[in-house]
Amino acid sequence: MTDFKTGPLMYGIALFVVAFVIVQSVFFIVKSWKRAREIGVESEKLRQTLFSSVLFSLAPAVSILATVLALASALGIVLPWIRLSVIGNLAYESVAAENTLNVLGSSISSEVTDPQQFSTIAWTMTIGSCFPLLLLPFLCKKIHSAMGKVTAKSKSSGALGDILGAAAFIGIIAAFIARCIAGKPTDGPSAGVMSVSTLLSAMIFTIALDYLCKKKKLTKLEPFVLPIAMFGAMGIAVLFTQVLPPEIAQLTWR
Amino acid sequence: MDKKAYSNKVHTWGRIWTVTAIAVLFAVPLGIALYYNAWPELNVLWKALISVIPIYWSTAIIEVLTYVPLLGAGGAYLSFVTGNITNLKLPCALSAMDRANVKATSEEGELISTIAIGASSITTTVVIAAGVLLFAPVLPKLTADDSILKPAFDYVIPALFGALGASYFSKHWKISVLPILAGVIVYIFSPTFAVGTLLFITIVVSIAGALAMYKLKIVK
Repeated sequence: MTDFKTGPLMYGIALFVVAFVIVQSVFFIVKSWKRAREIGVESEKLRQTLFSSVLFSLAPAVSILATVLALASALGIVLPWIRLSVIGNLAYESVAAENTLNVLGSSISSEVTDPQQFSTIAWTMTIGSCFPLLLLPFLCKKIHSAMGKVTAKSKSSGALGDILGAAAFIGIIAAFIARCIAGKPTDGPSAGVMSVSTLLSAMIFTIALDYLCKKKKLTKLEPFVLPIAMFGAMGIAVLFTQVLPPEIAQLTWR
Repeated sequence: MDKKAYSNKVHTWGRIWTVTAIAVLFAVPLGIALYYNAWPELNVLWKALISVIPIYWSTAIIEVLTYVPLLGAGGAYLSFVTGNITNLKLPCALSAMDRANVKATSEEGELISTIAIGASSITTTVVIAAGVLLFAPVLPKLTADDSILKPAFDYVIPALFGALGASYFSKHWKISVLPILAGVIVYIFSPTFAVGTLLFITIVVSIAGALAMYKLKIVK
């Protein structure tokens, strides 16, 4: 039984999971769309949100696909596919698989050939990652209601509420920017010439495209500024790797 | 329908979908165990679980407390099923709300966030499925170490957050300096610090800094 990792059962489960995720997403999109129209949001704004989000997600999705491939040599391609379609991420899945295999006296660097080991890994990944879903039905409404009260208060405090809202988002973005400048992530390249130049290229593309949209009144282009800037910066990463001397392109300081 | 009635409905739908998602999630190892008659040895499973649960379950509590207010109810119920929140769903929702000129705390912001996350979830799921089913033989060549396109995939995160950052920083540059500096300082002392944990620090620094600047009338 050498191909059990990519047998019909595994593909059947994977397609079922894919169908579930798509149906759930369509359900929430349809409900939100109808509600948005009810409260007077223009269809054009909703359409632009939908299409720009699809475009925005393409490159990261391909990057996630690459992590499926990274796990495929040990676990076959189907289990990582399933895991990264529901809840999973590379760091979590690889640690869960590695820890399970270590207990069994093996490692993720070699192919799993025993169904019982494979099953144990699948159970570890599932039980380890399910907790947010167990919490959500109990906590989401409470947190959401508490936020509603805070928002009502901040509305009465005018500009301060807006500033603090923006500050929370800036806090999130700042963590990732700091990692590109000075971090040594376990699941990606260290901070160096390439990470900083890609970061700066994306910023420059965004500012330039925003300016162009305003100057030439290109309102249709506005929702697509971020995805275009992102692809442009990825292109710069490819270009710099090709044209810069390797000792500069590969320079990292972490 | 008023705002509260709609919000209650979202929570009812969200709860039903979440419970169903848990069942789907557990159907995967259950299906493998039943079909191959390959049940894990309990002592092995236990040893593996106690090495991951303390970290992942405590992180889960922090994630739920942090992401629900940022993603909105519908967005949160969707995001926690499909995962990849910090590296995809959250930036996608932030970008959509920013471009649509809506506040996350408004009802319109929540609806835009949910639509963006739904679109992002479908895109990711379809790209991964298509990649596995149609392009599995070709993909390793695209992402291999010697592929010309490899740097593009290696540097998705700087490209994504650079684009998103420019958009926010150009509007609020005064309050952006402090959290970036705080993050860099953390990385100077601890280069491998998990970004998922760091963002709680940078959010607190950012909000505290913004509040101080507002009181000092540096920002209005």
